[in-house]
Amino acid sequence: MNASRLLFVDDEEGFLELYRTAFARDGYTVETTDTVEGARERVAKGDIDLVVLDIRLGETSGLALLREIKARDARLPVVLSTAYARYQDDFSSWLADAYIVKSSDLGELKQAVRRCLGAGR
Amino acid sequence: MSVSRGAGGVQERTHRPARSRHLRERGPALRSMRPRRVLDLLRRVSEVLETVVDPEVAAWSVLVAFTAGEGLGCNRAFLLLADGEELRGWFGVGPRTREEAREVWSEMRQRGVLPLERLAAPDQGSVEAEQRRHTATLASLSHPIVKGCGAWRRAFIGRGNHPNPCVRHWLTVLESRELVVVPLMASGRPWGVVLADNFVTHVPIYHGTLEAAETLAHYLRAALERTQLLRRFQEERRRRLVAEHATALLDTARTLAHDLKNPLALAGGLARELMAAPPASNETLLRQLSIAASAISRAEQRLGELVDGLASRADGITLEPVEVGAIVDRVMEAFRPLAASRGVRLLSYHPARPVMASAVVPSLERCLENLVVNALEALRDHGGEIHAAVSEDSPWVRLEVADNGQPLPAALRGDPFVGGITTRRGGSGLGLASVRTLAEAMGAKVEYDEREPGWVRFTLFLRRWS
Repeated sequence: MNASRLLFVDDEEGFLELYRTAFARDGYTVETTDTVEGARERVAKGDIDLVVLDIRLGETSGLALLREIKARDARLPVVLSTAYARYQDDFSSWLADAYIVKSSDLGELKQAVRRCLGAGR
Repeated sequence: MSVSRGAGGVQERTHRPARSRHLRERGPALRSMRPRRVLDLLRRVSEVLETVVDPEVAAWSVLVAFTAGEGLGCNRAFLLLADGEELRGWFGVGPRTREEAREVWSEMRQRGVLPLERLAAPDQGSVEAEQRRHTATLASLSHPIVKGCGAWRRAFIGRGNHPNPCVRHWLTVLESRELVVVPLMASGRPWGVVLADNFVTHVPIYHGTLEAAETLAHYLRAALERTQLLRRFQEERRRRLVAEHATALLDTARTLAHDLKNPLALAGGLARELMAAPPASNETLLRQLSIAASAISRAEQRLGELVDGLASRADGITLEPVEVGAIVDRVMEAFRPLAASRGVRLLSYHPARPVMASAVVPSLERCLENLVVNALEALRDHGGEIHAAVSEDSPWVRLEVADNGQPLPAALRGDPFVGGITTRRGGSGLGLASVRTLAEAMGAKVEYDEREPGWVRFTLFLRRWS
């Protein structure tokens, strides 16, 4: 049983539903939010083990939130998950512990989460 | 063969050898071109150069003025431009050999061609062909800039014993007895040089010709600098546009990734999860199925918008909702008097309620006009009927134009929309081709059939406006 607590940040409720279903089945404690403010508050509260962050959050950039999270706690693993592969060219994205291009197959995301949690705190 | 070459043949006719020999012996400054003729030539060339936008056309225009019989009358002329430490052959006009000269000049005389008259409307293809024709000679003329070239101030006549190695090189390459050399200098260094000779007629070159040649060469330099600057400006503009397009494409790719790939990944991901472990409650199952269905609908809609957008952007047009029945009524009404004069009945059918298609009004009108003109041509001899009908055939709006005139010629039946086949039916042969081009630019298509005996039908399939 995996007790890690994951926070998923995505502006699309459908993805949050998918992540809840898929990661809860794997034994994670899953929390979700569809806003930057919600994510900011939840991270500030502590006890999150890993954040999975979409880059395009409505009109806001997830990259700015990534910088905030890392400035607050550089050891908190953040996995960027986005539909657009070329964001990897943006040096802001290099702060992330992993970069995943969204796919209908969650295998790569799950693997990245496991790897980051293993290497994390 | 191009006829833009020098008309030395005209000069051949008017040349009086005895008088010329006498003048040569006394020196080159004794006879000049008549001032009025020179002024007329300079005026014509300067007027042409004012509007020229291509460096090649500018060079061609001036070198034609050098070689035309009604110009300076040289047999051939070349332009060399400084490129680093070399004077490089860049453009040439005139025959390459004596045989070619006889052939070309004879043809020009027979056809009454006056090269200067062609300056007003240069043919880009002929200009490029002329430049290509002299490639080998131009390459041979190229020569490193040597000491002494920088001392040139005025045009001169170079002969075999000339002290400058460049001049001797050019005389050798061109096998010339004497060569007009018009230097173009910039800051004491050669910027370029115009060379001209009479290698066929051997007509001597006079002082007045040199002065006119100098003036023409300076016109050419100004025109070349202007056109080269314009070309660089256009190239910069093109690069900027490419960069802007690239940025816009990146933005589009990001948007597409978000709007198209996201819903597909979501729908696929949910489907995989449902297959791997169906949820215990029906409520969860239905909710997740609903999310997946909604994501697929969103992707489908976005894809449709993308297809429409690309179709319209291909020709820089913007599609708009167009009431097809109203267009049909308007166009048919415009053709009614002409049709009546030919004994042709025009009939149109469309639903009472508006049928809206994605189109561009002028393009759709042009398509319909071309189809009606085509039908009228088919009915020219015997009269008949033209039917235009609008109907809905989701996702299309069909606009049919049918006539009971002569059938399409066999040559057109395979692909009546191919351009350039001229038949009585179809006029220039470009009308139907234009229909297809316009239709495709609107994301529409056009088909032809003769399924109904005695009738020829063209059908435009326009995208329904949604």
